[in-house]
Amino acid sequence: MVDPHDRSDRFELIAACEEATLARFANDVLEADPPLSVRQEPRPQLLMQQVQEPVQRRPFNLGEVLVTPAEVELDGARGFAMLPGKAERGALSGAIVDAAVAGGHEETPSIVAGLEEVADRRREQRQREWAESKHTAVEFETMEDQE
Amino acid sequence: MGYVAVTAGEEIIERAEQLFEKQRIDEDEELAVDQIDGQLSRLTGQAMSEGGLYAPQLAALAVKQAQGDTVEAAFLLRAYRSTLERFDETETIEPSEMIASRRVSPAFKDVPGGQILGATKDYTQRLLDFDLLNGESTDPTAGWDIDDEGDPEELTNVTELLREEGLLHDPDEPVDGEPTDTTRESVTHPPERDAVLQELARGETGAVTALGYSALRGYGQVHPTLAEVRVGRLPVRITHPYTDEEVTVTHTEVTESEAVVPVYEKRTDPQFAFGYGLTFGRNERKAIGMTVLDASIQLDSEDEPAESPEFVLDTVDGMDSFGFIEHLKLPHYVTFQSILDRIRSIRKRQQAGEENNSPSDEQPAEPPTTGASDDD
Repeated sequence: MVDPHDRSDRFELIAACEEATLARFANDVLEADPPLSVRQEPRPQLLMQQVQEPVQRRPFNLGEVLVTPAEVELDGARGFAMLPGKAERGALSGAIVDAAVAGGHEETPSIVAGLEEVADRRREQRQREWAESKHTAVEFETMEDQE
Repeated sequence: MGYVAVTAGEEIIERAEQLFEKQRIDEDEELAVDQIDGQLSRLTGQAMSEGGLYAPQLAALAVKQAQGDTVEAAFLLRAYRSTLERFDETETIEPSEMIASRRVSPAFKDVPGGQILGATKDYTQRLLDFDLLNGESTDPTAGWDIDDEGDPEELTNVTELLREEGLLHDPDEPVDGEPTDTTRESVTHPPERDAVLQELARGETGAVTALGYSALRGYGQVHPTLAEVRVGRLPVRITHPYTDEEVTVTHTEVTESEAVVPVYEKRTDPQFAFGYGLTFGRNERKAIGMTVLDASIQLDSEDEPAESPEFVLDTVDGMDSFGFIEHLKLPHYVTFQSILDRIRSIRKRQQAGEENNSPSDEQPAEPPTTGASDDD
């Protein structure tokens, strides 16, 4: 069960969240003008995706993945987020959201509810896609006995 | 060969670029980047694969900017990535963690986990669908009555099945250290296997397919049976800087292919050799071509092009071949003038020799001249 109060789970939910949703949460948090410092500006960067090929079990570099990380300190609590793609606004918003929940900001209940919705949607989508794929499962028959 | 800077009015060059940009504009609605990302994902997948950068939205932008030229789009992505810092390497992922949307095994009919066709037209006729001219597509799966299958299952890798039967050798020794990164260091020959896989993964689709095909057409010894072909999503995982736990940032859509190659004639213990292919995006022909080339390169032979790692890796990169081939259309006036001068000189010397040896007083015809000046 994914728990938005857990830092690692929250990171994944923020990464899966739409930029506009994160921006809305961040705006709500910043409305009271809490002290905010940006520890890492949101800037597109690269992650080299390493995969272990299955035969010799050697890792190799498949290619780079574009991500946008950001880190903030909000009212004494630190927050870190990383969004896929070129997503400066979303990453900064995500870091603010992360810090807000970590610091127990008053918006935490609504943020947690929003992130739980993201978790539900993500699980439903994953299950639906899997069910659609399984709907095409086939059993091939050899024709050697059908002369 | 010589190169000199040439000048042509900047304004003229701008006009040519404007004419190029005009070609994407028509009277209908402009093609949105999201539409390219959503409806032409094979194109964006190919651009990401060959660019070595997974960024679906920017790949769609690149395809739009390049007016559908995938190699140009891949070039744009590589140019963009060259401006960025690297945050880190991901945690190493095992392909068995893939959330597969398609998996077929041509080798094993009853493969554990089943044969899942997924989204494919492999088994239907390739005929033009004139209904698409009307632009009124409807979702043909809307009426499906789908069972609840729960969460996606991990599908056992076929190589693991072969290994369990002892038909595939165990890895020789654990490999320590970071894999070679060909984006940061040049490939040296003979290349390490990790460098080969990385270079093939970002090779140009047509080149990978053609070279793999050459092995099947008799210019090589590898004619594999595919153990499986999979399409799905691989997690992109990092270590969280606060919790030190592995967390997933996103997933990359990838295509994977594995092949087995019988090598019983070469070994006292009959086993399979193998080939492996993995690349960004939905691109089965490239993944299979990569698999054939991986198996061929392991033979490390100079006898056939596909078996020579140097030949394959020197020709398979789209940026290299695109750059070299297309640079030929840029001004080469000095080069060509030099060649002309040399040919004229040789011809004059030959004619002078013929005159000296000729018994007649006939004058040889003058060689053709051009208006080119010799001030280059």
